Amino acid sequence: MKLLSLISPILCLVTALHAADPVEGDFYKITTFDTPKETALEVGAIDLMPDGRLAVGTRRGEIWIVSGAGSSDPAAVSYKLFASGLHEVLGIAYNAKDKKLYATTRYEITRLTDTDGDGRADVFDNVNDGWGVSGDYHEYAVGSRFDKAGDLWVTLCLTGSFDSAVPFRGWALRIKPDGKMVPTCSGIRSPGGVGFDAEGEVYYCDNQGPWHGSCTLQHLVPGSFQGHPAGNVWYDLAPNMGPRPIDPIPEAFQGDRSRKENRPGGDPDRMVTERGRIKQLVPPAVYLVHGKIGNSASAIICDTSGGKFGPFGKQLFIADQSHSNLSRVFLETVNGIKQGVVFPFRGGFASGLIGGRMDEEGRVFVGGSDRGWGARGGKPHCFEKVEWTGRTPFEIHEMRAKPDGFELTFTQPADARAAGDVKSYTMREFTYAYREQYGGDEIDEILPQITSAKVAADGRSVRLIVTPLTKGHIHELHCEGVKSADGTALLHAVGYYTLNEIPM
Amino acid sequence: MFSRPALLCLAFLAASPALAGEPAVILVKTLTAQMKYDTPEMLMTPGQQVRIVFENGDDLPHNLVFCQPGTDTAAMALKQMENAEVALKRNWLPDDPRIWAHSKMLNPHEKDEITFTAPTKPGVYPYVCTFPGHAMTMRGEVKVAPTGEGLKNLTFALHLGAWEKLPDFTKLKPHREGKVEDNLIQVKLDDYKNEFGVVFTGTLDAPKRGAYRFFLASDDGSRILIDGKEVITNDGIHPSGDIKEKSVSLEKGPHVFRLEYFQSRGGVELFAAWKGADFQTTPLSKWLHPNWKAGGKKKKDDFPPMPLVVKDEPVIYRNFIQGAGNRGIGVGFPGGINIAWSAESMNLALVWRGAFIDASRHWNSRGGGHERPLGYDVLQPTGEVTPAFFISDKPDAEWPAWDKSKRHDGFAWKGYSLDAKRSPTFRYTWKGTEIQESFTTTGDGNRPGGKPTLIRTIRINGELPANAWCRIGAGAFEQTGGVFESVGPKSFRVSAVGARIAGLNVVVPAKSGTVAITYQWLP
Repeated sequence: MKLLSLISPILCLVTALHAADPVEGDFYKITTFDTPKETALEVGAIDLMPDGRLAVGTRRGEIWIVSGAGSSDPAAVSYKLFASGLHEVLGIAYNAKDKKLYATTRYEITRLTDTDGDGRADVFDNVNDGWGVSGDYHEYAVGSRFDKAGDLWVTLCLTGSFDSAVPFRGWALRIKPDGKMVPTCSGIRSPGGVGFDAEGEVYYCDNQGPWHGSCTLQHLVPGSFQGHPAGNVWYDLAPNMGPRPIDPIPEAFQGDRSRKENRPGGDPDRMVTERGRIKQLVPPAVYLVHGKIGNSASAIICDTSGGKFGPFGKQLFIADQSHSNLSRVFLETVNGIKQGVVFPFRGGFASGLIGGRMDEEGRVFVGGSDRGWGARGGKPHCFEKVEWTGRTPFEIHEMRAKPDGFELTFTQPADARAAGDVKSYTMREFTYAYREQYGGDEIDEILPQITSAKVAADGRSVRLIVTPLTKGHIHELHCEGVKSADGTALLHAVGYYTLNEIPM
Repeated sequence: MFSRPALLCLAFLAASPALAGEPAVILVKTLTAQMKYDTPEMLMTPGQQVRIVFENGDDLPHNLVFCQPGTDTAAMALKQMENAEVALKRNWLPDDPRIWAHSKMLNPHEKDEITFTAPTKPGVYPYVCTFPGHAMTMRGEVKVAPTGEGLKNLTFALHLGAWEKLPDFTKLKPHREGKVEDNLIQVKLDDYKNEFGVVFTGTLDAPKRGAYRFFLASDDGSRILIDGKEVITNDGIHPSGDIKEKSVSLEKGPHVFRLEYFQSRGGVELFAAWKGADFQTTPLSKWLHPNWKAGGKKKKDDFPPMPLVVKDEPVIYRNFIQGAGNRGIGVGFPGGINIAWSAESMNLALVWRGAFIDASRHWNSRGGGHERPLGYDVLQPTGEVTPAFFISDKPDAEWPAWDKSKRHDGFAWKGYSLDAKRSPTFRYTWKGTEIQESFTTTGDGNRPGGKPTLIRTIRINGELPANAWCRIGAGAFEQTGGVFESVGPKSFRVSAVGARIAGLNVVVPAKSGTVAITYQWLP
């Protein structure tokens, strides 16, 4: 109590001085919908249906058809129960070809048909149930929408955090249009969502735990190993995947680390080191830095609205179930590897976010629940909409790796003097151990020099020269000194770039 | 640390549960359509005056019958069926000398009160509902045990100081010392309300050599020492929260009991208790923690029930259901008849009557674990769930062993369709041949004498090998005409055209066409 009472006058003072500072809500508005009273609409997945309707699958195993959620009047929303009694819907996909919904549930992909046209499903076909369930609560199955080839992707959580008790726990599977299953990637730990970028490449979010110092956004390259070796016992069942990858080193020199000693020649349990040894290993495209970006990454939402959601076209928005927020990711491909940067984007949702989908009008529908892990927001579950207000925030638009630093672009012209001053920036580099223990600290810290900041003539971009760049490290950039041409500070002055590869 | 209005603390004292010597009031309710009391255990002290308030919220008649230790209550309730006419006249109260207290037979939604003196002899006394068919699940236990002895020669030493953790009181000079007249630990807030510490010292007599459990909760920090050795510590600034507990082995005789406590600011609470093999949890403090009778343990999965109510159409619940494997599909039919079907074994796993299922385990927190049927009279017609179909030239020989760690070879799950009444037809293939199963019910599973009946129709759409069989019952059966009655505690009746006993199974030939299998509970 004492501490708070000391701080609060200072807080008030700060607020008063910067009363006009823009806030996230000025640019992106959240609308919270009332949900059906007879249930807890614990949104697990959302997809679009014709005529602006939405299909919403829930943790309680229901599928609701939602109408009117796109309306500017939140009271226009209405719900119809399409199906119930399914075992936890964490994937929902509308198939435009057969006009049917496909639900990813705990142990199968179910195709739902309403044959008598009464608005309720009456045929539940098993499309594929080719993976195991041992009865462990943690064995979630998180499904995608249809990809560009017409396939569904299912990412299967391990049995707990460390084991794969039954086939394909810890794998990403593709289910072809004919129902056949193709084991596609190994190495998954605890998926929170599967989604696509603007080109249709497939990604999933994994969660902090063993072999994951932080939540991550990972590129599901067919044939790849995503980092957690527990599921690799099933390679015999997946001959299409080729030989089983060699195992990563669990934690070779724990004793050294506990004494804060460095092993001569460096620690072997780093993602960047192990990538050299394990050829199938694909590094996380972006570390969603633990505790700073989120704690429990879930849905992946790509802005395909062509500008209706603001200036961040083709970028990805990552939902989080514990921080109840959306972060923003810009990706690029360097030396054939996906990598990029994550920025804070919008917080303040009413509960932990799990499912999300953008419609053609650039409206983002999200929802979820706080059940099991706790979430910010204070509501046990929520269903909400985020819309661009039409005002463009002053933000770092893109951050690209360069051979000797980074290039930033801005959503609005920057003040050339502020953006051109190296003192406007600070950078810190770190990584996580790639090891079996749960989570991990930010380690191997390097504080590089920013030796040059050259602003483009139009003020829209700046080139930073950074010494050194460190392959495999997360480059945390702060730009507190950067101002827009009209003197506004960046809405979010921090970004975390995962430098898997340094471009030549 | 946590500020609570002083009034609230007073209210706790006023509402404190009955201690030895005081009359106990125990409220017992019946749970709707679950064939259970809401109270599986009652604690009493020897010779205690007890008033039981018994409310029947169920739609069936129930009573509450207390018996001597060791009574096989199910057998006792069953025995009266030998002369049902007499039993009916006695309103289903067995004429049995082992009964020492009982309520009336309450009709649905009635209430009764009984008062009695608890047995003077410590022990475990079972109680049961003796209405026909209820005793298997509707029962509980009275635990009669004395309370233990309290502290003797209790003294206190008050210290003043602002601490965040317990200080080393042995190095501090007390501000004030004195005797505690009623020998109950308590923090009096007469002159110092914040920033003080108290050391209580007394004698505790262990009645015999053995293990004793100590309980401690406090706002702020505290610890208990026996003979100078720390038993439990609960240090730091915090609200009293959960009770901490720990067992310690003590020799018979007196021991030095020492409790150290400190208060920083805000709320003040201090609870201590002990428990032995021959006596129940006995408070050593004046303030009683709200959960003190339950000890320090919080019940796991203790969520408010969320029963799925079946109204005018079947309700489907796919989740982890105990006894139906990991791909269970529960179906609650109108009329109090329920099944769980396994999409792992492609077989009917469970049949029960009464309430359908409680979703609270799966719809709270992380939703782990397998949920049991909520109703009663749970049948497993073919035992542990395995596939129904097999091929054998000698079906009387042993049943094939199934490897439950793997998916069953030759079976493929296809899904289900709902008919106009939204009743499911399950679809699967065996050896490439499509098989469908659908269910109809007659009678009323919620009512005694309701003759609840489940008719399972298996339709085989294609050819199977000539020596293919379908198991419809497992265990020992007695055959009367075309009807097979299972021999055992969970007795049921199964019948189907062409059925026969084959070893410890009832089977029908598996061939193209339709077979209707009727399952009924034995009265």
